[in-house]
Amino acid sequence: MKKTMCMILAALMILCLVACGSQKQEETIEEEGFKPALDTSTSCHINVVGGYDNFEALEAEFDRFNEYYPNVEMAFTKVDDYNNMIGTVLNGNDAPDIYVNYSWMYGREQYGDSIDHAENLADPALGLDLDCIRNNIILSTDDGTLPMVPVFSNTYGMLVNNDLFEKEGLSVPTTYKELVEVCNAFRKKGYDSPMMGFTNEETTSLFTLTVYPFFCETVANDGEAVKKLNALDPSAGEYMRSSLEKMEQFLNDGCVDLDACAEIENNYDAVILRFFEGDVPMMTCSGDTVSGTKKRESRSEAFTANPFAYTFVPIPMSDDGACFLDMPNLQFSVNKESQNLDMANEFMRFLVTSQELNEMAQNKGLMSPTKDLSFNSVYAAFGAVPESRVISPEVIGLTDDAVIQLRQAVYGVGTGAMTVDEAVAGYGSFTQ
Amino acid sequence: MRWLFEEGQDMKKIRIIIANAIIIASILIFVLLYSRFESGESYQRQIEHFETTTVALEQVTENYLEGEQRICDVWAHYINNEAMTMEEAAEYIRVSHVLANTSAHLVSLDTLTGLSTRPKQGTTDDYAVSYERVALLEDVDWIDEIGESVNISRAYTNPMNGEQSLAFCNKVTLSDPESGGSEAAVLLRVVPISELEQKWVFPQETFVNAELSMIDANGDYILKGSSFKNSSFFEFYSSYNQSDSASSKALFNRITSSTGSISMLNSHGQECILAFTPVTATAGWTLLGFVPAQDLHVDTENWLLVGFVSAGLLVLFLCDLFYMLHLNKRLQAAAKEAEAANKAKTDFLSTMSHDIRTPMNAIIGLTTIAERNLGDVDSTRESLRKISLASNHLLTLINDILDISKVESGKLKLSPLTFSIVETVENLVNISQPMIKEKNIEFSFNINKIDTEYLYADQLRLNQVFINILSNAIKYTEPGGRVSVDMREEESAVPNCIRLTYVVADTGIGMSPEFLETMYQPFSRQIDSRVNSIQGTGLGLAITKQMVDLMEGTIECQSEQGKGTTFTVVLDIRAADRQRDDMLLEPIDVLIIDDDETLLRTAVDTLESLGATAEQARSGLEALGMIEHRHLSGRDYGAVIVDWKMPEIDGLETISRIRSEIGTDVPILLVSAYDWSDIEDKAKEAGANGFVSKPLFRSTLYDRINDLIGKESSSQEPEDDYSDLEGLHILVAEDNDMNWEIISVMLSMYGITTDRAENGRICVDMMREATEGSYQLIFMDVQMPEMNGLDATRAIRKLDDPWASSIPIVAMTADAFSENVMECLNAGMNGHIAKPVDIKLVIKEIRRTTEGKEH
Repeated sequence: MKKTMCMILAALMILCLVACGSQKQEETIEEEGFKPALDTSTSCHINVVGGYDNFEALEAEFDRFNEYYPNVEMAFTKVDDYNNMIGTVLNGNDAPDIYVNYSWMYGREQYGDSIDHAENLADPALGLDLDCIRNNIILSTDDGTLPMVPVFSNTYGMLVNNDLFEKEGLSVPTTYKELVEVCNAFRKKGYDSPMMGFTNEETTSLFTLTVYPFFCETVANDGEAVKKLNALDPSAGEYMRSSLEKMEQFLNDGCVDLDACAEIENNYDAVILRFFEGDVPMMTCSGDTVSGTKKRESRSEAFTANPFAYTFVPIPMSDDGACFLDMPNLQFSVNKESQNLDMANEFMRFLVTSQELNEMAQNKGLMSPTKDLSFNSVYAAFGAVPESRVISPEVIGLTDDAVIQLRQAVYGVGTGAMTVDEAVAGYGSFTQ
Repeated sequence: MRWLFEEGQDMKKIRIIIANAIIIASILIFVLLYSRFESGESYQRQIEHFETTTVALEQVTENYLEGEQRICDVWAHYINNEAMTMEEAAEYIRVSHVLANTSAHLVSLDTLTGLSTRPKQGTTDDYAVSYERVALLEDVDWIDEIGESVNISRAYTNPMNGEQSLAFCNKVTLSDPESGGSEAAVLLRVVPISELEQKWVFPQETFVNAELSMIDANGDYILKGSSFKNSSFFEFYSSYNQSDSASSKALFNRITSSTGSISMLNSHGQECILAFTPVTATAGWTLLGFVPAQDLHVDTENWLLVGFVSAGLLVLFLCDLFYMLHLNKRLQAAAKEAEAANKAKTDFLSTMSHDIRTPMNAIIGLTTIAERNLGDVDSTRESLRKISLASNHLLTLINDILDISKVESGKLKLSPLTFSIVETVENLVNISQPMIKEKNIEFSFNINKIDTEYLYADQLRLNQVFINILSNAIKYTEPGGRVSVDMREEESAVPNCIRLTYVVADTGIGMSPEFLETMYQPFSRQIDSRVNSIQGTGLGLAITKQMVDLMEGTIECQSEQGKGTTFTVVLDIRAADRQRDDMLLEPIDVLIIDDDETLLRTAVDTLESLGATAEQARSGLEALGMIEHRHLSGRDYGAVIVDWKMPEIDGLETISRIRSEIGTDVPILLVSAYDWSDIEDKAKEAGANGFVSKPLFRSTLYDRINDLIGKESSSQEPEDDYSDLEGLHILVAEDNDMNWEIISVMLSMYGITTDRAENGRICVDMMREATEGSYQLIFMDVQMPEMNGLDATRAIRKLDDPWASSIPIVAMTADAFSENVMECLNAGMNGHIAKPVDIKLVIKEIRRTTEGKEH
């Protein structure tokens, strides 16, 4: 009897200690986590609009936010023809509280409403943790206001079949020289196209993905060049020469079998499914495409049959190493005329933290805009790129128009439609 | 063996507890299961209700959609019939369109551009609308011919104002004024979803958190509730619910083709109920109702009931448990008591056997010896004397046993009657005298202020108490020792009662402290070699204690081994109504001589209360001087009372010297606490005029002094004169020959003749036939064959002859209990004598009854 009593008492004591311990842990989390600033019983509707058909990762954040504000009904609505319609929507009866925005709209008159309706998120009163986001992709307007904050980021790189590298005893290349060597090694082992990519259209073609970071690096510190390039000055074509020649060299070095690449029908599903066939060591693509890999693993019979580990790494087009082209992907703005402005800001304060942004990026499969990329093994390689080799086109100041000229030129040279000289000479004259 | 029994008991207890626990658990499980069952039933009903509500909403939706579509149909029909241009059609609709929030678009299928009935947002005259980037009208196969079905678009962004909208559509043919031909176009009646959402909701009072969605055949939302995630319901389902593709496909087919409900998880992982029903007005569309499952759980699981039942059962169980434990304890105690009682009974029988056999052995043995020595008169006499002693002891033992059994069975009843305490004490002293004399014990009996002579109590039992204590004191006091009795009367707190204190002190062997604790238990005798040599039943003190308790008195004992014992009995006894009044002597001077100061003081007080003038002398010599002085002065004492035993010169010598030296004839009473017989002759010879026994009661002194001075105060029965009995003829009803012989012989010794009736019937017959005066008395045995003594008495009492029916009848029976006595008296008898008969009691009873009859 005494023994039983002792055991019961001991069990109770352990229970109490565990309970105390877990309570302490919960308290710690509570201390470090989000603290609601508004009345948690507030009841309202917050509408977020964007161009995505669905936005499950954001809906997951709604659910997490509802843990603090259970009576706030949050919804994501797709707006057709988003870029063109967002202005109308913002001025209409269905004006959202939060909306997707793009920094490339800065200064463009037709998108003026999208910028004008946006609240200045740099206002310290809002309490957003902007420090958690990489500086390269926090893009203010010329007058210093911050109408939008990135919630995802984008970059160019290549998907690497790590199992294949391991199987063949090769390492993922970190310099251009290594890239060529690896490609040769793979070819010798029977891989006819060690590196593939989408080549049927200019947008996010293999050529752009490989050369654009290299090009940005060449003009990053040359304001004059950027100025000329942005002005679409034909003479600025010369600034592309080295990049175009690099493209030629890349193709000549036999890293890519363009015929094989031509079989890839689009730059999204087809790219992913081709990569999942398992025989492609490296597949160039953008971060957007990488975000679709997770969902398509189950759709690929080959991958389902023979799954493998893969990561997304920067393409080393220079002997100095690869560049990390850091670009904002999706940015959120708060409609300053929102009927529930406080709650909209509260949601943004909740969302703009390393924890939530990383969580959402992980769910979406996109690169997180935060300074910590190590949490996601797929993108971890980009976090290892030295600060000096991180380049942001927006920071450099290249306009979309200039980039379009480059893409056209690179595509022309890559596909063999024009020579390097022709491409250099044609700068400013290319149409989309 | 005992531990085996206890272990068995423990096992039983555990089994009972387990059985109780199982019963309680079973009841609780039943209550819970029943509650669950009820809850499940209720849940199912709620799901069915939710399904029904969804179907009802589908009807509402269908009516609405058909209504809206009909308007669109009418417009399209009219436009087609009138062969309108786009502008004309737009104008027509603009005129007929009255709802503020809706609009209509006419879109050419060639260019996906057209006109809106309302201007673009922010303008007043820009009616141009473009569906080029809306991805809605590239394929219009889903739009049926006019009137065939509801042609409703998915939710899309109205390009004119950016509002999320639905459009009811019809294909129309418009005139093209430029080409003169016609062009295919689509008429869209555009309704903002916000408008729809306000109307299209679940009845909130029934399902607060329920939401609606509408999906097309691909699962894409037409209308989307906020709990529905993704752009496709099927994707939503697959994202949050584990299912293989085949099962999912089957499920989706079921959802889009039938009415029913399923359980699924929402984005929070909560279980929800999805009710689905096809929207018949539209091809392949399905209406979905979605509600958290917990909202459908009506709280029929009455936890209060369960809790109450649990608590009640627990309390019942604990009560039962504690009651059982309590009962067990009592049973154990009762078992122990029974065990002890059984042992006591065994001990009792064992002791009885021993104590009865001992005197019986003496009787039988001595009888044998007497038979052998019939010729030797001395030896025979000695044997008979010892047989008599043993018989008396046996009788005492049997009486004691009867008493103790009556006491212990609670049947002992007190029979109070008026009696004289003086007689009681005299009797006490008389009874004690032989033993005192035999053991040569110094004995004193002091009374103090016994003013109330007649008391009302059970004299027999009171005697028993006094005798038991005094006889014990005498028995356990060694020869040469001293026994003193003090009796005093005090005021009692009980109304009409006096407090009688009876103190017996001896210098006997005393008792050990251990024995003092158990001395009132039956058959308890001190373990002492000296005690063993003394005859005793070990019942006396037990009976005494019970008697005292019965009389609501107290008995205390102080004893020390080797030094002696003092018993103190205190009783509150009711004073009898009858008392002797006016006990006043004529003026008389009395000298009382005793070395005992206490006696002197009480005697002087008593004499003075009687009206005498009392003087006292502490020795014979002092008395002689005082008597001589009085005699010489011519004022002789009226009476002198002198104690026998005194130092220097005793009472006899004092009397002798009074008579010889002083020569006075003053009346002298010799006082003694001892038996008279030894000194009677010497005293008379010395000149004593009379005797008086200690203690000196008021009435005794009154009577004796009056006797001395020639006043008659009372009549004393001549104890040895039996002449009054001669000639009596008694009928003895006795079935036992030996008993008959004994009684007839005994009575014949007193000159009484007897007839015998062998049973009650013969006795009655003899009385019926007897002539008047044939018998003066009937001694009636009770237990007799044919007719018992009680019935016989009743029969005699009913005889016609008044002499016969009133003849004194005295029971002579071995049925000695008081209830037996009462039975006899109730049957009509006049007295009761218990067997074995004491001839003195028989004579006394004969005199009592015959005298009573004479009176």
